[in-house]
Amino acid sequence: MTALLELDGISKTYPGVRALDGVSLALNAGEVLGLIGENGAGKSTLMKVLGGVVPPSGGEIRLNGRSYDRLTVTEAQAAGIAFVHQELNLFDNLDVAGNILFGREPLKGGPLRLVDRKAAAEQVAPLLRRLGADFTPWTSVAELSIAQRQLVEIAKALATEARIIILDEPTSSLTLSETARLLTVLGELRASGTALIYISHRLGEIIDCADRVVCLRDGKLAGALAREDISHANMIRLMIGRDLRALYTPPARPPGEGGLAISGLITSAFPQQEVDLRIRPGEIVGLAGLVGSGRTSLARALFGIDPPMGGSITLDGAVLRVRAPRDAVAAGLYLVPEDRKKDGLVLDMPIAENITLADLPHYASAGLVDRGAERRAAEGQGKSLRIKAPGVEVIAGTLSGGNQQKVVLGKWLSMAPRIILFDEPTRGIDVGAKGEIYTLMRALADKGVGILMISSDMEEVIGVSDRIVVMHEGRISGTLQRDAFSEKAVLRLAIGQDGEAAET
Amino acid sequence: MKRRSLLAMPAALGLGAALTTRAQAQEKRTLAFVVNVSADFWTICRRGIDKANREHTDFNMEMIVPGQASAAEQRRIVDELLARKVAGIAISPINPANSTEMLNRVASQAVLFTSDSDAPNSNRAVYIGTDNVAAGREAGKQMKRALPNGGKAMLFVGTMDADNARERVQGIREELQGGNINIVDIRTDESDIARAQRNVEDTLARYADINLLVGLWAYNTPQIYQAVKGAGREGKVKIVGFDEDGLTLRGVAEGVIESTVVQQPFEFGYQSMVGMVKYLNNDRGFIPANKQIIIPTRIIDKSNVSEFQGQMRDLLRGR
Amino acid sequence: MSKKELGLALLLIVIGGITAALNPLFLSGVNLLNMANLIGLFGVFSIGQGLIIITGGIDLSVGSMFALLGVIFIDLLVNYELAWPLALLVVLVMGLVMGLLHGLLVTRLKLQPFVVTLCGLLIYRGIARYYTNDGTMGFGYAGNLDTLTWLAAGRSFGVPHPFIILMVVAVAMWVLLHRSVFGRYLYAVGRNEEAARHSGINTNAVIAGAYLIGGGLAGLSTVLLVFYTSSVSPSSFGNFYELYAIAAAVLGGCSLRGGEGSILGIVLGTVLLQILQNLVNILGIPSSLNFAVMGSVILLGVIADQQLGRRKQAKALNRSQAVAVPAE
Repeated sequence: MTALLELDGISKTYPGVRALDGVSLALNAGEVLGLIGENGAGKSTLMKVLGGVVPPSGGEIRLNGRSYDRLTVTEAQAAGIAFVHQELNLFDNLDVAGNILFGREPLKGGPLRLVDRKAAAEQVAPLLRRLGADFTPWTSVAELSIAQRQLVEIAKALATEARIIILDEPTSSLTLSETARLLTVLGELRASGTALIYISHRLGEIIDCADRVVCLRDGKLAGALAREDISHANMIRLMIGRDLRALYTPPARPPGEGGLAISGLITSAFPQQEVDLRIRPGEIVGLAGLVGSGRTSLARALFGIDPPMGGSITLDGAVLRVRAPRDAVAAGLYLVPEDRKKDGLVLDMPIAENITLADLPHYASAGLVDRGAERRAAEGQGKSLRIKAPGVEVIAGTLSGGNQQKVVLGKWLSMAPRIILFDEPTRGIDVGAKGEIYTLMRALADKGVGILMISSDMEEVIGVSDRIVVMHEGRISGTLQRDAFSEKAVLRLAIGQDGEAAET
Repeated sequence: MKRRSLLAMPAALGLGAALTTRAQAQEKRTLAFVVNVSADFWTICRRGIDKANREHTDFNMEMIVPGQASAAEQRRIVDELLARKVAGIAISPINPANSTEMLNRVASQAVLFTSDSDAPNSNRAVYIGTDNVAAGREAGKQMKRALPNGGKAMLFVGTMDADNARERVQGIREELQGGNINIVDIRTDESDIARAQRNVEDTLARYADINLLVGLWAYNTPQIYQAVKGAGREGKVKIVGFDEDGLTLRGVAEGVIESTVVQQPFEFGYQSMVGMVKYLNNDRGFIPANKQIIIPTRIIDKSNVSEFQGQMRDLLRGR
Repeated sequence: MSKKELGLALLLIVIGGITAALNPLFLSGVNLLNMANLIGLFGVFSIGQGLIIITGGIDLSVGSMFALLGVIFIDLLVNYELAWPLALLVVLVMGLVMGLLHGLLVTRLKLQPFVVTLCGLLIYRGIARYYTNDGTMGFGYAGNLDTLTWLAAGRSFGVPHPFIILMVVAVAMWVLLHRSVFGRYLYAVGRNEEAARHSGINTNAVIAGAYLIGGGLAGLSTVLLVFYTSSVSPSSFGNFYELYAIAAAVLGGCSLRGGEGSILGIVLGTVLLQILQNLVNILGIPSSLNFAVMGSVILLGVIADQQLGRRKQAKALNRSQAVAVPAE
């Protein structure tokens, strides 16, 4: 059987750097190709070549038996290549049908060119059914959750009758059950003969869905794995060229006394629910749950972004009143936010200024910043966190995701942390940097910092936490001790089936 | 002096004020004087209106100042006055040539006088004010008196699209025709007082040999006076001006300003109002055949400035 | 000096050079000092505008503030015969209060700065006209104000005081913006208010602070402008001056999206605007073309900056890719 798509010796050279170096691969109809590799390994450049956005410097693309030196965007679309991006490209002021059929709306009324909304719904409804969507073509995209929007993106690809769908980190914003459903949908697509390229950092998903795995490293093909060889260890070895040591490091000593105690806390997102939670110094508490279960609302309430509407918070026995983030910061309660580009960093400012931003008066006398002290502090953090950058005056926005996250961490570590809330600390970060972040979290905990880690990544929750707390619809549905950890137990609590699995 | 208590403002803003005016308007007929821009000149005019109102208490006389010196703003004011069914409007039209339609609409619904700036093509009953070409000629005479041996002159004005500016320039040019005074240029400032002064400063910097500066609008002359003093060129550069700004008169008294051509806005206000009352009482004998009542200009120079300053102080006091 | 400021300085030199070549009087002492005076007058409040723009806001009300504070100032001096230091203090405090009011409306009630200050523009102008009964206020018959006149409009060693005041204000604001904690917060808030809040910064206080300073500098400018013109016509005094300030700030590298700009840039922007107005007179270009010249040069400057910025970005992108790929 001839391949649907073949790449032969594709190279891409930017001035001074080879982003792709002789990459060859083939994709058959009805197969899922897992594409893995660390950030910067060349995955996105390769995808841009396929989408016709970037012309390759060398090599050949064979598509449907035709051979191309380069593709244009139109050619790529005509050949049935569609993308589902990590960043969603939807108009949230339009409804679902309007997004799916954007630019190809069925028309009526002759020269008036009115959108035939009925015909549009008729076209879209079967697609949504096929994807098992629980919303209608009329639903406004603004009302959809991120997972639902991801489905809209996929429906969009299906509507163009794509034969090759490329999914770039499609699950990064999805919860466990949503991920499971997406994988089912992908299975059905495969069965109907669609070819899929699945890019993800979440190796568990690759194991679940890929027929074959291809790994890129430094722009070259690092290796391929057949179905029976796909395993965590093999993939990690391909990606980083060495074995990754076991994820879980036990704490150096049992958790201390004091820490953060929350009782009867009411968040503005769930005014009906009260939350009780304890984070002791020296422990890493994993906070799992579906997206929208109230985990982020809880973190935002504790940090004072959306101040709590009721309940009490004590830190080491002293009552803590949080009306604004500055109250939390003053008490040593810090948040490493989910969206680091939006909330964590001032992207246009240098690393040094980001690191000292929260504690600037400390580096100032008479209101004037001592730039030497600032620089020394930033360099200290840069060194201890191993931030990869030529210097601390580098603009934070130019760093990779992992290094940006380290800058956010550096901001808090340069102060006196007592409790740190991590919201999805490794989202969009490659495997190598993930490991470093876990090590850092453990080191912090061992220094007596209490850590709450919100995560939707099951491996991370189970692999890093000392204790897992699960939320469901705004309340704590259960707590798991280390010996009771299992994906199944977490999932049951997350979808609200508490009872026998819970033990506190 | 002319200021209001800010404490009274909320009351003025309140319904009370609006209601009383309206109540008065129902009993008494209203005569309105619409000016072109806010200036001391019109404050003096207001004194004339007040005097007329004291003599004719059965009328309600008001003066209306547009926020912006634009024809559009003036048109809005006029439309509102017509909607209030005023009996008569005296107006200083900002753009008379192109306001004929608006003015005729007024004339069809109320008595229409023009003042300060005429619109001869409209159906206005009469024009009461200065003949600006004649005023320009007066200024031209003063320029010749200041520079008997000729020289270079520069004119300053807000905008040249105003008729009174064009007419004054025309009068000046007519008077200087064939003489040895050369008008280098006319600089405009778009009614920005600070720019009016910088125009003078730049002129002084650029032309070392300039002999005479002429301010055509009320605020131009004091800015010339300040800039010339600032450059230390008083005496070497002569100044001729228009109107009676306080600083202008001080300059005349000091001898820095040669002379200023003043109009008699008090008479504009008084005669317009009294004229409209007469007109409404069907007494039209006071209107000459050419429908123009010209209020002559006066020349204020060192000889009569102190007396004139006294008059102005009295007029502007207690406003 | 950043690239942006360097580019602006270059533009200044080119335009100044062309003007001087066409008419050497452009570089005469008298003309330069006249310009210095005007740069001082317009620079002080442009800096205030710049600070507000850096927070991502805008202040459209400054022109009307000049009219209102101007008539009050003259009234206090001429009619109430208040001692001049007191009158000065009243005007400065009123400027601060107006600025604070704008700041509080923007931060507490979450109103858009454009709307708040547009309303300020209308309200202050209206109050000024009502207060004076639409009459011009001047020092016409005022008593002894020699000290204040000298302070606000005099010269020392031949240098006009407004220019000296601008230099003092610029240095103070440079330290504030580029060296102080507050200045750092101002940039952080302008670039990413959410991240600043997540860092525990009281972003509302920072933004309100910028409006407060803007108001205070507008108060100071009022005094300088009043002594420049010696009279205030409430309906036209300061009209459009907010736009000069915005133009100077934008020319000087401030982005209306916030987070960008420098004091040096704003001062250079003011200088360029004043040169443009001066050259119209010095070269004898018809006054009617004044605004057209100004608009064209600003447009050209902004386009050039945009194009250079794009090229720089492309270069930076190439470089960062060159660094990023082998690094991982």
